[in-house]
Amino acid sequence: MLALLFILFAGLGIGCALAVVAQRNPLYSAISLVGVFISLACLYVMLAAPFIAAVQVIVYAGAIMVLVVFVIMLLNVEQEERERTRLKFLVPAAVLLAAVLIAEVAFILVSVQEFRVTPTSTPSDIGTTYSIGSQLFTRYLLPFEITSILLLMAIVGAMTLARRGGLLPANARVVPGAQQLTLSMVDPAVQPDNLTLVETDTTDEAARLLGIDHRDKDDAE
Amino acid sequence: MEPQLSWYLALSAILFTIGVTGVIIKRNIIAMFMCIELMLNAVNLTFVAFASFFQDVTGQLFVFIVMTVAAAEAAVGLGIIIAIFRNRETLDVDDASILKL
Repeated sequence: MLALLFILFAGLGIGCALAVVAQRNPLYSAISLVGVFISLACLYVMLAAPFIAAVQVIVYAGAIMVLVVFVIMLLNVEQEERERTRLKFLVPAAVLLAAVLIAEVAFILVSVQEFRVTPTSTPSDIGTTYSIGSQLFTRYLLPFEITSILLLMAIVGAMTLARRGGLLPANARVVPGAQQLTLSMVDPAVQPDNLTLVETDTTDEAARLLGIDHRDKDDAE
Repeated sequence: MEPQLSWYLALSAILFTIGVTGVIIKRNIIAMFMCIELMLNAVNLTFVAFASFFQDVTGQLFVFIVMTVAAAEAAVGLGIIIAIFRNRETLDVDDASILKL
């Protein structure tokens, strides 16, 4: 029974993984990858790791893939992938090397059977939230803290990478109420070191000085 | 018949190989990114299989750390993808060759 379930989920996972590679549209690849994550979560349940399975669905299929799909839809690139013309001569070599690799793996799987691990059928607390948490916050506290620093660096890095670069020069001053803009922003001929300030009271005036017609879109509607 | 440890390891190897193949043959940078996620998941399956068969929770803790690294990689990687697309108007990795000597 468990073997049948393993074959079902493993087949589903491999099929979805092949679809990830085979699809040309990135959005279809993302949906197939969600299928891989779900089938792997089912395998984690079979391996008596229900908490990991839940985290797999929530974090991977829930958060990371939503982020990927969001970026795909944000960029909205409908370009077809170009067919590669070079490296055609490497296809026979790749097939040969893959056959050698598969032969090696099959040899190991068939011949090396002395090392048999019998899964204990007694119920244990391995994989429960309690055992994972107690180990994570006592014995493995240092990796946990390093992980938090890594996440902090990722937050800062993502914000730095994704935002648009400097909108205002370093010597520009923006005060609430009135806008004080350096003359170098208004007139490109002025040197940036010139600290002459142009005072504007309203957004419209600032936009007119900067040569931006920000009201056009609203007026057109 | 119970699923053996070698079954899970074989499945993990297959998934990892599919991920490597995708990274090599894909041109779209987002598709390459998703194939890297596939490779990370194959390694996670190995960790959980060993943790289950050896009755040791350490493997599942490392799955947490791998997931965290994957999340950080997703955030930073997608930021890089958006920056590349903003500068070069393409997602093809062959066009992002400005660092090539």
